[in-house]
Amino acid sequence: MSAAADAVDAASPHSRPPHPGRWRSALAITLLGVALVLLSPLVGSVPIPPTEVFRIILHQLSGGAVYAQPCAGVTDSAPLCSAYVEIVWDERLPVLLLALLAGAALGISGATLQGVFRNPLADPYLLGLSSGGALGAAFVYVFRIGEAEASLVLPVLAFAGSLGAGVAILLAARGRSGSVETLLLTGVALASFLSATLTIVLLYNPTGSLQVSFWLLGGVGGATWNRDGVAFGGILIASTLLVLHGRELNVMQLGNDVAQSIGVPTARLRQRLILLASLVTAMAVAFTGVVGFVGLVAPHIVRRTVSSDYRVVLPLSAMTGGLFLLAANDLAVTVLPGTQLPVGIFTSFAGAPFFLTLLYRRRQASTMGDS
Amino acid sequence: MRAPSASGRAVAGLEGVTVRFGSRTVLHEVDLSVGAGEFVALAGPNGSGKTTLLRVLLGFIRPSAGRATLFGTPVDELPITERARRVAWVPQEEANRDNPTVREYVGYGRYPYRGRFQAESAVDRERVEESLSDLGLGDRGDDGVQTLSGGERQRAVLGRALAQDTPLILLDEPTSHLDIGHQLDILERVRTLSRRRGTTVIAALHDLNLAARFADRVVILSRGRKYDDGDPARVLSEGLLARVWGVTADLRRDPRTGVPYLLPHQRVVEGPAILAGPGFGPVHVVGGGGAGAPVLRALSDDGYRVTTGALHLLDTDAETAEVLGIPMVVEVPFAPLGAEVRSAHRRLLEQARVIVVAPFAVGPSNIANLDDLEPFVPQTPTYLLAPTPIDQRDFAGGAGARAWEALRSAGAREVDGLPALQAELRSLEARWRSAVPAAAPALPS
Repeated sequence: MSAAADAVDAASPHSRPPHPGRWRSALAITLLGVALVLLSPLVGSVPIPPTEVFRIILHQLSGGAVYAQPCAGVTDSAPLCSAYVEIVWDERLPVLLLALLAGAALGISGATLQGVFRNPLADPYLLGLSSGGALGAAFVYVFRIGEAEASLVLPVLAFAGSLGAGVAILLAARGRSGSVETLLLTGVALASFLSATLTIVLLYNPTGSLQVSFWLLGGVGGATWNRDGVAFGGILIASTLLVLHGRELNVMQLGNDVAQSIGVPTARLRQRLILLASLVTAMAVAFTGVVGFVGLVAPHIVRRTVSSDYRVVLPLSAMTGGLFLLAANDLAVTVLPGTQLPVGIFTSFAGAPFFLTLLYRRRQASTMGDS
Repeated sequence: MRAPSASGRAVAGLEGVTVRFGSRTVLHEVDLSVGAGEFVALAGPNGSGKTTLLRVLLGFIRPSAGRATLFGTPVDELPITERARRVAWVPQEEANRDNPTVREYVGYGRYPYRGRFQAESAVDRERVEESLSDLGLGDRGDDGVQTLSGGERQRAVLGRALAQDTPLILLDEPTSHLDIGHQLDILERVRTLSRRRGTTVIAALHDLNLAARFADRVVILSRGRKYDDGDPARVLSEGLLARVWGVTADLRRDPRTGVPYLLPHQRVVEGPAILAGPGFGPVHVVGGGGAGAPVLRALSDDGYRVTTGALHLLDTDAETAEVLGIPMVVEVPFAPLGAEVRSAHRRLLEQARVIVVAPFAVGPSNIANLDDLEPFVPQTPTYLLAPTPIDQRDFAGGAGARAWEALRSAGAREVDGLPALQAELRSLEARWRSAVPAAAPALPS
């Protein structure tokens, strides 16, 4: 081959790396995430000096070894300082962690469902997983079941409702031809049915409907270290199991028959993956209510900026989802000083324009949804 | 490379396999045994059951009756990973909307060899690189599959199947979306690789000519039944195309390779297959001097199996029959019909289901034709084409007119032109079809 031809070859688009800048994008998301996590504790209705916030965190993390006098350098009196500690350590940090966890759960659940159904619109909401959770929550407020211990009963019922919806989809589709389309439509029908049931329940029981409505908008306000601990355990286990299925999800994108011919037991895997996705979604719904858009958008952001390889999409969707929800929550806290707006509003209100920009500006790693 | 488990045992076998979807029978008691290293083409019209047969072998469809085996083991008893190590599949078209690199994509074929926590092994990498270079994709390994052209993409699919390293590969119309150059390219590669690696190949190919060109053996499916099975040179015939596809064609032979090929006519006959009923024989045309040529062309275009005779060599009718590939009996030019030719002609007449007498000029050299066909008139519907009265074309001194009259009195019917003849044949066929309930096409005798 002549030197000229070589030069042409080198300049041809084929010689480009497959996903230009994919690792740069991944790095950018990570750096953005670190910045966001560092900045988030500073955000809140009570203005606390940044240095004070970090001193408190370091003090708590070190078990009180560092900064033995937490209020040193602050002109205010000691009781106020202990209020700072409470705000930063027992409120802001649990909220931050819960936002990350719930967002991660929704992100990875959305990525899994989009992969299983080979459908860019699939997410926990479309399938009725969150409607199930909402119905569970409604029982607490409307029928005043265990209202006394609402903080305990509410997550449990929401979890049960959400997981129940996932199991119901699988049971309904079991023994049938079990095609992807059947499963997806079963979920859509179930979602519709559950929302209708919820509407009826609320219509005839106006007493609890305001609380339920608020819960439906989603929020991470009720976070505590204990709740975070439970959410962390559950989400970590289910997410780890999901991440291990990246290779199978890649092959499943070739279609049911091809995947089977390569040795992927598609029917069994679909059930397992839907069950795990329901589980992580249920964990998120239990503690945050219904937060929309995260599960849909996070996987698409990853696919468009980094890669469509599910071994990458799954963990990065979790990360992106977590950061997305955290950013939305920071907005929810700061937009109207003194008020905490439901975070679910911001995931959509700020997330939709952001997503649209991405959708129309970048056409890269994947065409999922374009064809 | 893994060797087929035991010599002599079929790589793939079907025993009386029947597949029903609801009340519809898609495969009907199909038997098939494919040996190691064979390249078998499955051919048949759309809906004949080719894809279903492949899906049975892949274990996607469980037969309603009968047994499908791979290397002697029933397909449904093989664990899915084990099955994926024995048989790979290349579909017509793969709807992958993601964009893995070609190398990653081909690497998907290594799935059945890797445990969940196992990293890619040296063997995995070696197989992938080997597949890439075998398919001429060595320099495209790092490109996304969405950047590939149609031909390259199908090569990548084939590469994925090869990386699966199976002794058997099934292909379902692997080239139907490609242009002719890429069709040949893909099939050429499949054949070369199968020979080199000893891989057994079963490919559904609706293009009979491609099937004959590349396969060692052609299996014809028609309406869910195995219609024929054997060497392409034997299986391919005009009758095959007419009966199974309902298309008329000429059979030619590639002068360089000797491979037979079919050249379909422009006109496609309506209905599943003309004269497909059991026992339906050909329409025999008695002609001469060019009077028979338009009849031969018209009937052949209509999809009838046609025979003709007894003609003289170099005669217009004989040349027409030659071009149309119509079987005929010929005598040397201008000579009266000899005894041998006449008896050969009688054999054709005997096989005919319908006899048509073209309005040829009757002379001493061919009057024997009329005499010879008279005994067949009572049991065979016979049509006399008579656009002009017989006495205007009797050059045998009245013998022609007498013979014509004898045919009429034996039951032959006069029709005044080709359209009338074609209408008669259609109504005749309709009557026969309704008398013989629709059945599977008879095997060619």
